[in-house]
Amino acid sequence: MARSLFLFDMTFWLYLAALVLYVGYLFAKRPSLQLAPAGHPVGGFDDRDGAWATQLGQVATLVTIFGWIMNTLALTTRAYERMEHSGTFAPWSNQFEAMSYVSWAIILGYVLLELRYGIKAIGAFVVGIGFIAMGAASLLPYRYQTAEPLVPALNSYWIYIHVSVTLTSYAAFAMAGGLGVMYLLKERAEKKGSRSRFFDAFPDLETIDELGYKAIMIGFPLLAFGVILGAMWANYAWGGYWSWDPKETWSLIVWLIYGAYVHARMTRGWEGRRAAIYAIFGFLMVIFCFWGVNFLLSGLHAYA
Amino acid sequence: MNNPEAFSERETSRSSGLGWEEFSREVVEFFASIKLAMFLFIAIAMTATIGTVIQQGERPETYVQEYGEDVYRWFVRLGFVDVYHTWWFTSLLGLLCVNSLTCFYKRFPAVWRSMRQDRVSVALSFIKGMKQHTEFKVMSSTEQIGERILRLFGEKGYRVLVKNDPGDLTIYATKGIMGRVGAHVAHLSATVIVLGGLLGSSYGFQEFGVCLEGQTYHIPRGNFDLRIDKFWIDYHENGSVKSYNSTLTVVDEGAPKITKTITVNDPLVYKGIWFYQSSYGDAWDQIEVARVNIKEKATDKVLKTVDLEWKKEKAVEGLPIKITMTDFVADFAFNSNEKKVFSKSAEHSNPAVRLAVDEKSSIQATPWIFYHYPDLFEVKDSSYQYELIGYQPKKFTGLQIAKNPGVKIVWIGSTMLVVGMTLSSLIYHRRLWAKVIPHQDGAVVHLGGTTHKSQIDFQKEFKKLTEKIETKQN
Repeated sequence: MARSLFLFDMTFWLYLAALVLYVGYLFAKRPSLQLAPAGHPVGGFDDRDGAWATQLGQVATLVTIFGWIMNTLALTTRAYERMEHSGTFAPWSNQFEAMSYVSWAIILGYVLLELRYGIKAIGAFVVGIGFIAMGAASLLPYRYQTAEPLVPALNSYWIYIHVSVTLTSYAAFAMAGGLGVMYLLKERAEKKGSRSRFFDAFPDLETIDELGYKAIMIGFPLLAFGVILGAMWANYAWGGYWSWDPKETWSLIVWLIYGAYVHARMTRGWEGRRAAIYAIFGFLMVIFCFWGVNFLLSGLHAYA
Repeated sequence: MNNPEAFSERETSRSSGLGWEEFSREVVEFFASIKLAMFLFIAIAMTATIGTVIQQGERPETYVQEYGEDVYRWFVRLGFVDVYHTWWFTSLLGLLCVNSLTCFYKRFPAVWRSMRQDRVSVALSFIKGMKQHTEFKVMSSTEQIGERILRLFGEKGYRVLVKNDPGDLTIYATKGIMGRVGAHVAHLSATVIVLGGLLGSSYGFQEFGVCLEGQTYHIPRGNFDLRIDKFWIDYHENGSVKSYNSTLTVVDEGAPKITKTITVNDPLVYKGIWFYQSSYGDAWDQIEVARVNIKEKATDKVLKTVDLEWKKEKAVEGLPIKITMTDFVADFAFNSNEKKVFSKSAEHSNPAVRLAVDEKSSIQATPWIFYHYPDLFEVKDSSYQYELIGYQPKKFTGLQIAKNPGVKIVWIGSTMLVVGMTLSSLIYHRRLWAKVIPHQDGAVVHLGGTTHKSQIDFQKEFKKLTEKIETKQN
């Protein structure tokens, strides 16, 4: 137990370091260069400050990747510990592990995004959310952090797929929420005519908007799949696939909220500012579905 | 919405009078509209929250205690105590089905048509009217450039069709139609799921049964019997529960058919009826063993402690007594009208055992003895006093018994939903038209394209394609 908790701790500090580096990168004096498609700045490095900032960015990425590897190790170690103590290995069997898994998925998504699009500024927001998720997990009382054996209702192979799919969709929505915040900040800065370095590093509004939309388009079917897997599990465990339990209902509500978004986006031109605000609102609903329901409403999912 | 045809169609419809056709078109328009879909999504989401905040299906007293009588009356009037079965909530779900079906009816034929055959030959103005369009001159012949475009589109995974008209060459390319088909499959799934749900709620049932080990119960809905062979609990090393297990045997037409040990996540299914391990507890009208002290009245000394098994006569060693435990109640109560003893509740709050005592065949008595009140009654004329000092309760297993004939349909609908959503999220439909018109010693290429979403991605792709066509030939 102690071993995985130590690794989770290390992950937390690495994510914090990555976040600080990304924010530092935003404030640093960067070379005013065009970014090549691969994401590496082209041109010379005569400007010493600029070179320094670029290195800062690279270090941020490395620390993030290192943190993610640590996160992976922590989850695998936890999986082994679970195998020893309880009949499952799913390292997302309580609130703490679920949070750690969500941050793992967020950071993985971010790293893939950075490798593909080479936009570092997003790191300050998305890695930030991953860090907050990890931090919130570590604030949970110790008894929530340990790998207690599963109650009989949870002890089933369904936990591997239902929980991981649902949590991955949460991670996608988290990413969309972070991009939404970025959009609003950037838009405000542009309206004010701010030429600060900070906002200059952001990708243009259209790109932020489109990336946010893509994140939701990944999360939306995943959530549907996760909810349906949950219904199938319920049909095996509780004798009915749908019982309007608060968690079920809230995941349906979240799905409907994003359903409205996807339809509005396609035809009613919900782009830019509106879409960004809506993505943030949706993410807040996800947080409520994930945390609020467990702690505020009673129901069949109140296992934590 | 980038389709110029759609606009013209609409305009002609407006000009024709207020006939039946006009009316039905308006109705279809309304029910297929995305505005309605968004309204329904939000309305269902908002009303669904009610049931997560207010406890559903509780007893009236619970609500009155928590909210007061007036509020409770409003709750009942509005259906807040059972939101998900109110007429208005089910109507919203019904409307969502109507909405998605009408959308399918209105929009799918066009998708189907373009899957099978598409308009290749289009007017130049049509290409110029598209959101993405460009034109440029090339220095190669119409055939050469046509070939080049064909190859490029083919490489990019487009399905390409060509039409060679006397004055020009038209190339049509399309990709990702499955994205649109997916959206429609997802739309249809809503109705399939709701139908499955309706089927389940009208022809299915859900019951709860309290079953004792060793007993056989008739299941009238399935016309067979269920025998409970065994119930037990497994524990982890640290003492927490690992699993609840019941071994069940289905007895049909007098013969045992299947025996299975069910656990919480592993039900028994027979003839479409599912038996779930749902709960367990101590029976309130039966116990396994009772431990009874036999005291001498005169000295109040314990002479003997005996363990009595359920309904088994026991001759006490060294004493001229035979005892049988005949009854048990967990929460003793007496109905004075019927002169009957019964258990007030399932809780073991006042357990009592009835004995049949036979002392040397001279005194026969059937006293109730109480766990909590040892001196309450005594057997007259007997020199012995009996005390219930402990007992081992008999466990019952709580079985959820359910049949849901709609469940398979729900899974079909769910599969459609997930597959449809995935297709429509990952793939988007794109159509490109290129018209090559000979011009002096070269040709002019008009390129236009539309998509129904992912405008930015498409814009990038369009730009790249244009560059490739333009630069390759120079």
